[in-house]
Amino acid sequence: MTRGDRIVVAVVAVLAIAAWPLASMATGGDAAVAVISGPYATYRVPLDAARRLDVRGLHGTVTVVVGAGSVRVAESDCRDHLCVERGAIAAAGMAIVCAPNGVTVRIGGRADAPDALIR
Amino acid sequence: MRPTPSSGSARVVATVAMLVAVGAILGILETALVPALPIPGVRLGLANLAVVLALPLVGRAAALRVSVLRILIVAIATGALGGPAFAMALGGAVASWAVMAWLAGRRSVSPIGWSVGGAAAHVTAQLLVACVLTGSAVPALLAPFALLLALGCGLVIGYASRLLLSRLPLVYPEFGTR
Repeated sequence: MTRGDRIVVAVVAVLAIAAWPLASMATGGDAAVAVISGPYATYRVPLDAARRLDVRGLHGTVTVVVGAGSVRVAESDCRDHLCVERGAIAAAGMAIVCAPNGVTVRIGGRADAPDALIR
Repeated sequence: MRPTPSSGSARVVATVAMLVAVGAILGILETALVPALPIPGVRLGLANLAVVLALPLVGRAAALRVSVLRILIVAIATGALGGPAFAMALGGAVASWAVMAWLAGRRSVSPIGWSVGGAAAHVTAQLLVACVLTGSAVPALLAPFALLLALGCGLVIGYASRLLLSRLPLVYPEFGTR
């Protein structure tokens, strides 16, 4: 490994570490609430409530299960099922993304957009 | 020293075709065999080997051709053409190529550095595309994990390409053999 390589590795490592606090700062909010955002609706569910939500996504339905302090995607109509393989998340700043369906799940924080605007 | 061939020469066309084939095969194999990491857009990146090799073998511009062509072929083969995974792959590939082409022009950086820099650019661009696709900033929360994984995968691919490059005749020696 050359000197330049070490600089590149160091820069990437610093970026990764720096992205951590930025990510949790961006989330903020209540760590006991899961925010589930789909293209058509946003849900906020307390993590201690046992609930099963069918979220309508761009390709089909994403089934989100909340309970026992964590949240996970149980089923999804998508190709790669990366959202299902991500497993359960419980800590603030963690996220699950189903890109094909445009559905995101995260812990804490505000919803990215309001459900509806009333004029 | 061998004269630098023009981009349309038979040698370059043949080498690009070969690298596209290698990249496409590695890409399809990886999709089929290696379990996907649970973050959109993060993978081992075996196919990036073809692009790292392309820089010293056929130059910057042809390396971009290798990268885009192998993504088209993998997308057609896996049925992802035009889908969100395809948009993310394309965004990642172009960003990764840009960073690697820049690093390849710096004397002090070896293929290991190109590969790590390219992998980091790849995941960053993929997460940005995912932000656009989902219309939210949530995918950016995955950046710390994605960058750490990119660092590890980039090192693996970088060492592999350095090993290969030390055994191949280089057309652009100013990019290689460090």
